[in-house]
Amino acid sequence: MKVETRLFVVLAVFFLPLGPILYYFDKGYDLVGPIALFLSSLLAALIAFYLNVTGKQYTNRPEDNPAALISEQEGDYGFFTPYSWWPLWLGASAAVIFAGLAVGWWLFIIGAGFGVLAIVGWTFEHYKGEYAN
Amino acid sequence: MVAVGTIVWLSSELMFFAGLFAMYFQIRSVSAPLWAEQTAKLNVPFASVNCLILVVSSLWCQLGVWKAEAGQKSRTGKVWQTGFLDGLRRGHAGKPSWGMREWYVVTYIFGALFISGQIFEYAELVSEGVTLSADRYGSVFYMTTGFHGMHVTGGLIAFLLIIGRTFTTKNYSHAQAIGAVVTSYYWHFVDVVWVALFATIYLLK
Repeated sequence: MKVETRLFVVLAVFFLPLGPILYYFDKGYDLVGPIALFLSSLLAALIAFYLNVTGKQYTNRPEDNPAALISEQEGDYGFFTPYSWWPLWLGASAAVIFAGLAVGWWLFIIGAGFGVLAIVGWTFEHYKGEYAN
Repeated sequence: MVAVGTIVWLSSELMFFAGLFAMYFQIRSVSAPLWAEQTAKLNVPFASVNCLILVVSSLWCQLGVWKAEAGQKSRTGKVWQTGFLDGLRRGHAGKPSWGMREWYVVTYIFGALFISGQIFEYAELVSEGVTLSADRYGSVFYMTTGFHGMHVTGGLIAFLLIIGRTFTTKNYSHAQAIGAVVTSYYWHFVDVVWVALFATIYLLK
């Protein structure tokens, strides 16, 4: 994963001096820009750090080998739910919760109740009922 | 896949907090007298202990992660046989030790202590006239620490769900371990953000 890591290291290094440069030319009037640029650097650094750590666990990936064949990349990519309605209910609950912030606490509480149901349903969908393992 | 998604989401969370930090410093730079007056009301020793509680909770969380990675769902001995030192060395010499569940319960308790401490602190500050709508300092203080507190609360809910899942299956599955690991990513992230916020609000003032 060296290539991926390097891409984000380049971004992190790019953003790092931009904050002080902006601060210097702006004479310290605006602090939002320098802080946002500094943390943009951290954003890229976080992903670079993760890719670097993960890369040490997965050596000899076909992606990193110029002579690799497409067939070497076969296999499981991860676990994907066949289908699930829970995200829809969770999204609807979130909509009610945020509408509750504007309308009133009573609606917020109703939305939170549905939100709890949806999030518990989603988290446990592979552990209870039809798809229990 | 879940881990990659979590990291990408956390980096966007970083930019959310970047907005809050930027707001704090920008408003601070134009209201020095107000800051001098209001930061004097902060209870720094209390907040330091609270900060320490959250940092320590990250350690418990990591011990739980190593157990999750080793596929050990719950304790193999008595409640007091934590296997703390073996856990730190990541050794699994077959001695009785706590599993992921026990460490996550302790993490949850420490996180809940942190939130309780923060509520206590808010109550004290409100009684001294620092409120969300009182002045710029109050708005900025409650926005930054409040959004962080909401993140910690969200993490606590996630811990409950992750702990709850360990009771549903006989075997500790890979998907469950991944869920535990990504929850720890989030917890460590929120912890690091708090260290930065703490330094900004309580130490730098």
